[in-house]
Parts: sequence; structure tokens; C-alpha cells
Amino acid sequence: MLQASELTKAYNGVVALNKLNLTVNSGEIFCLLGANGAGKTTTINLFLNFVTPTAGRALVNGIDVSAEPLEVKRHIAYIPETVMLYPSLSGLENLNYFTTLALGHKRPEHELLKLLAEAGLAKEAAFKRVSGYSKGMRQKVGIAIAMAKNAKALLLDEPTSGLDPQAANEFSKLLDRLKADGVAILMATHDLFLAKQVGTRVGIMQRGILVSTMTTDDLGHADLERIYLDIASCTDAGGAPPRTGEAEQRTEQLPSAMQGAVAGQKEAR
Amino acid sequence: MNTAATVAGGKTDAGVIDTIARKELVELLRDSRFWWTGGIILLLMLIALFLGWRQMQRVDGEHAAARAVTYQQWLDQGDKNPHQAAHFGQYAFKPVSPLAFVDPGIDQFVGSTVWVEAHKQNEFNFRPARDATSLQRFGELTMAFVLQILAPLVIVLLGFSAFTGERERGTLRQLLSIGVKPTQLLVGKGLAIIAAVGALLLPVALLGFIALGFVDDQHADAKNLYLRSTWLILGYAIYLTGFIALALGVSAASSSSRKALIGLLAFWVVNGFIAPRAMTDLARIVSPTPTKVEFQNGLNEARKATFGHDETHPAFAAFRDEVFKKYNVTRIEDLPVSFRGLTLRKDDENGYRIYDEHYGALWAIYARQERIRAIAGFAFPLAALRPFSMGLAGTDTFHQNRFATAAELYRRQIQTAMSEDLIQHHKNGDNNYVSNRRLWEQIPALEHKIPEARTAIAEQGLNLGILSAWMFGAIAFAVTATRRLRPL
Repeated sequence: MLQASELTKAYNGVVALNKLNLTVNSGEIFCLLGANGAGKTTTINLFLNFVTPTAGRALVNGIDVSAEPLEVKRHIAYIPETVMLYPSLSGLENLNYFTTLALGHKRPEHELLKLLAEAGLAKEAAFKRVSGYSKGMRQKVGIAIAMAKNAKALLLDEPTSGLDPQAANEFSKLLDRLKADGVAILMATHDLFLAKQVGTRVGIMQRGILVSTMTTDDLGHADLERIYLDIASCTDAGGAPPRTGEAEQRTEQLPSAMQGAVAGQKEAR
Repeated sequence: MNTAATVAGGKTDAGVIDTIARKELVELLRDSRFWWTGGIILLLMLIALFLGWRQMQRVDGEHAAARAVTYQQWLDQGDKNPHQAAHFGQYAFKPVSPLAFVDPGIDQFVGSTVWVEAHKQNEFNFRPARDATSLQRFGELTMAFVLQILAPLVIVLLGFSAFTGERERGTLRQLLSIGVKPTQLLVGKGLAIIAAVGALLLPVALLGFIALGFVDDQHADAKNLYLRSTWLILGYAIYLTGFIALALGVSAASSSSRKALIGLLAFWVVNGFIAPRAMTDLARIVSPTPTKVEFQNGLNEARKATFGHDETHPAFAAFRDEVFKKYNVTRIEDLPVSFRGLTLRKDDENGYRIYDEHYGALWAIYARQERIRAIAGFAFPLAALRPFSMGLAGTDTFHQNRFATAAELYRRQIQTAMSEDLIQHHKNGDNNYVSNRRLWEQIPALEHKIPEARTAIAEQGLNLGILSAWMFGAIAFAVTATRRLRPL
């Protein structure tokens, strides 16, 4: 459903994402882990066509994102790190607005309230203006917006950031439901626990490169944490972001365990 | 763009735009700033409407009374020589345009009354601005001022953060991620601002239309006035729509709301206050007008070629010889018609040619200056809107000149009638010839109708064209800026 093919993005010669090859199938949750600046959000932005790729292609349901951005957006839903809404409208009005724009028709109020309830927002809060909402409440409206669209693919950028543990737990259950419904989910997150809990596969990014991909079934939470921290420590020592052409060379600085993962990725290309 | 076109997901452009516009309007109506600024503007417009209407009624009433008095004085001047009657003269009062309550134009500065007398085409007198206090030099509160200066400011305040606000809030990402096209956002937001501004202006426009129904149609019929009003509204609609497009375009092109606001305020200041003055100065440099003294000196110099009452003037002798030859006589006493009458008529005719030439040249300079000023309208639309507004309101130079021409023709009508009476009835050598009220009554009171709406519209074609070009330019800019819109 979601496919990146040699997907590359450079800003003024500085590579933010380097030749990413990735496939997220229907009913799969792929979690992108990595430090800030690793390229997770750039990947999401490329799938949303918020930025245009320097090279390579991002495909959604086989459709090139750059070639047919509007057609692609029929198939995807997106939840950013901080869901931003219109403060003078209520949560329900915000949901109604975005849903109407996304679907081209209004959904009945009771359906919208049901979606908000499923996202974990209390009914009385739905009628209050968003200006009084906490970050977590706004996030729940964002989840409801994404659910309302019944999209085949879901792009999540740090979706649980700011959610309280209970809300985060409800969110995990929601992702499980969507996965069971056959939705392909690509989630950028720092939350190792969430990634292990809900992810089908986990990819670890470092300076624009997907250095490791693994299935969560084969992995304990502690293993994931260890690998992640190894990569993160390598990132910290790495200095400036790579320029075009330097990126692959830099991967050789990774710990030996990680070099294997990179080699695996190269083979996959 | 076909607004009814079906796009991805079964959505129609019209449906998406309608949803956006409604949401924008709801947000606007829930914003207390809109009610404050809108309320103030509405109040100012109602005050301007009331003050303008009262002023127009007062001046029109005064003119009507004075017009009746001066004509009665003409009729009651008693028995006298017709040429003395021509010198007795009359005041001609420019009728106040019923739409002057919207835009008083140049009436305040050019005067409304002219003394119609023998031999001379006089300048207009009684300029209200001359009697104004120093405070009034800052300008008066008129509908035109509110619509030309304050309404764009409201639009700037409503529109500057239309896109930058979405980007800064993060909602732009949300909108673009669900497949909303930037141009749909532009049209939706534009329609919302049009609806909000329209809600402020429509009641006032309606009041204005109702007020026109109470206008005494002595100088303009209702059809003329309603047609002028409709075009006036169209001109202001083009101007304000252009401002809405500009505000949205600048907001889409700016990286922050602060920058958008500063840019738009800078444009508002230049458009409203700097460009009109700069263009007036430029027009004066490119096409200078003579000073009043220079103009009068030029006229006096030209008039030296005519003989007036000077019987020693070579032209007088030449004309006398011409008359003698025509009537085959050698003495004035032998002429079958009044020689005095003939000389007065001849002198008047010579004067008409000189006045036409000099005033024609002066008005041509004014027209050239106005065209130069109008060119600035391609960038700063007030330069085109202001003359358009005055033109449709009937308070511009064109209407002033039309009345000046009518007053001059009236003067010539009096001169001709008085000279003809002398030619027909005065016996050469009789120094006691007098005429009476019967002759004075042959001269009707000056009735000047405001030109038909189509004349004013045709006269303002250039300004309307420039204004429209500016609006389409602003829309094109907004569309281009919006298409380049990025959420990051």
C-alpha cells in the first residue's frame, strides 16, 4: 500500500533522506524510529507530498505521490505530532469541517460523535470550543478525523506525543483495530514501547538512512531499546548531517551489528 | 477552473469552497475583533451618509433659493439699455449632484457659482474649502473616504493572516493532507471575506438607494441616478474585491502573519496617502497648469486683438469699414440696423473664440493630468477609483466643465439676445434706447441637467478599465501565490 523506492530528499545539498526503500503492506504497522533529524518526518512529508523528492518515488496504492497528489490523498489519512484545529470551533465542528472536506459530504452528527467517542473524547467536550482543549484532547479529534476518512493508509507523525498513558493505551488499541481492518500504517515515533507494542515491523533511521529493519515478533522490548540506543549514540558522535553522496560512506561508521542491517537493506535494493 | 467540476473522492470544487467559506464566516462572526471593526465602520458609514445627505440637501436648498432670487432680480431690473442688462448679469449656480452625498468630489475646491455677465467668461466662486476651518483641512468624513480608505483597512485586518495563520496554527498541513486544493482555500476564504464586508456595506448601500428615492429630480431623473449608483457600486466592488485578493495573495506568499500585515499596511498607506499625492505632483510636472495670473494674462493678451468698447482700435475701424461695405453706406447714421448692436455682437463673437481656445487648452491640461494620475491605478487602484467615484457621483472635473460650458452658453444666449435686440430696435444715434421686462423674460432661467449616466460611464471608461485590470492582476497574484503554498 505504501512504498518508497530510492526515495531521496536533500535540502540545499544536505541529505535529509537517502535512497529509502520501504514497503508497508495492508494490515501492517511500520514504525520508524530514530533521533530527531533522522529523516522520519521527511519520509512522512514525502508521502503527503508536502515536500517533493529530490530523487526516487513515493507510491500509495501504486500511485506516484508527486504525479497525482490529490488522487493519493483519497487513500491516506494523517495524524501529526500536534493536531492543530480551529480554536473558535468546537471539537465536533472541527471534525465536521475536516470530514466534509475530505469526503465531499457531511456525515450525520451522531456518527461524528461516535467517532469522537471511539477516539476517546468525552461527549460533553465535543461541543466545547477547541481553544479550551488540552493537547491530548486535540490529538483525539485528529484521530477521529483520520478515522472518519476510512483511509487505506495512515501516516502518523509522533501521534502519541502529549497523550496521557490511558489515552496512549486507547490509541494503541485503536491502531490494532485499524490494522485488523487492513489499514497500512506508517508511524514515525520516539516511543519504543508503542513501537514494540503495536508495530508489525520497526525500522531504525539514522541521518536519512534506514539502517535497520526488523519484525517485532523476533524482538524483545529490551533488544529494541539496546539497538536503538546503539544507533542513537552513533548519531550523536556523527557530527554534521551528510551531504549528497556522503551518506553511504557514513554508514560504515556504524557499529558492526548495524552494518549488517545496512548491508541487508542494500541487498534488498 | 470549473467550479462545479468533480474532483477526487466525489468532491466538487463548489462543495469544498462552500464548506470552507461557511467555516471561515463562522470563525469571523465568532471573532470579537470583527464586530468591533465592523461596528465602527458601519457607524462611520451611517454618520457619513447622514452628514453627506444633510450637507447636500442644505447646499441644494441654498442654491435653489439663490437661483430663484437672482433670476427674479434679472426680471425686475427695470427698463434699461439691453447692453446694460447684459452687464447686469446673473449668478449661475451649479446644481448639486444628488450623489454628492456619497462623494462630494471637487465641489468643495472649485466653487459652485459663476457670475454670468457681458464680455467675460468668469471663474467659479464661493469655494466651501476657502471658508473651511483649519481642522477641515484634514478632510471630511464622507462615504467615499470610508469606502476608499477605511474599508480596505478592514479587509487587510480580516485577510492578512488567512494563510499565514493556517500555516502558523498547523491547520494548513491538516487541510492539504486531506486533499484540499490551495485554490479552493483561496476562493472559500475570499467568499467569506466578501460576505462579511458585504454584510457591512449592503445595508448602507440599501439606505443610499432608499435616500435617492427622496431626491428632488429637478437636475437628474431617477433612472440616471440609479444607473449611476449601480455603476458606482460596481466600481467599489471591483476595488474591494481586488483588495481582498491582494490581502489573501500576500498572506499566501508571506512566511509569517507579521510580515503579511506589514506588507499590506505599507501598500494601504502608499495607495491611500502617498501615491495620489505623488502622482498629482508628477502630473503637474509632466503637464504643468498655468497659474491664475498667467492664465488671465494670456486671456487679456489675446483679448487685445478684439476692440471691446474701444472705437480707436484698428479692428474696430476695420469692422466698421466691413459693415459700411456690406450695407453700401458711408455713415453710421445711414445704416438700417444698429451699428452698436453689430459691434457688440462682433466683439462677443471674437471673445467666444478666444475663451474657447484658452479654456479648452486649460481643460485639456486637466484631462491630461487626470490620465497621468490614472496610470498609477495599475499599481495603486485608488488613483483610478477616486476619479471614477467622483465621475459617477457627478462631482468631478468633467461635470464641473460641463456646467461651466452650460453657464458660458447661457451667457452667450443673453449676449446674443441683448445684441440682437439692439440690432433690430435701436436707432443709430439714439442714446436713450431702453428695453424692458418683455426682453428679460425671453431669457429663461438657467436649467442645467446632470449628464446622462451613460455619458459619465463612457467618460470613466479608462479608469474602470484600469481598476478592472488591477483587480484581475491582484486575483492572478493571489492564485499564483496560493498555488505555490507549502504547508512547511
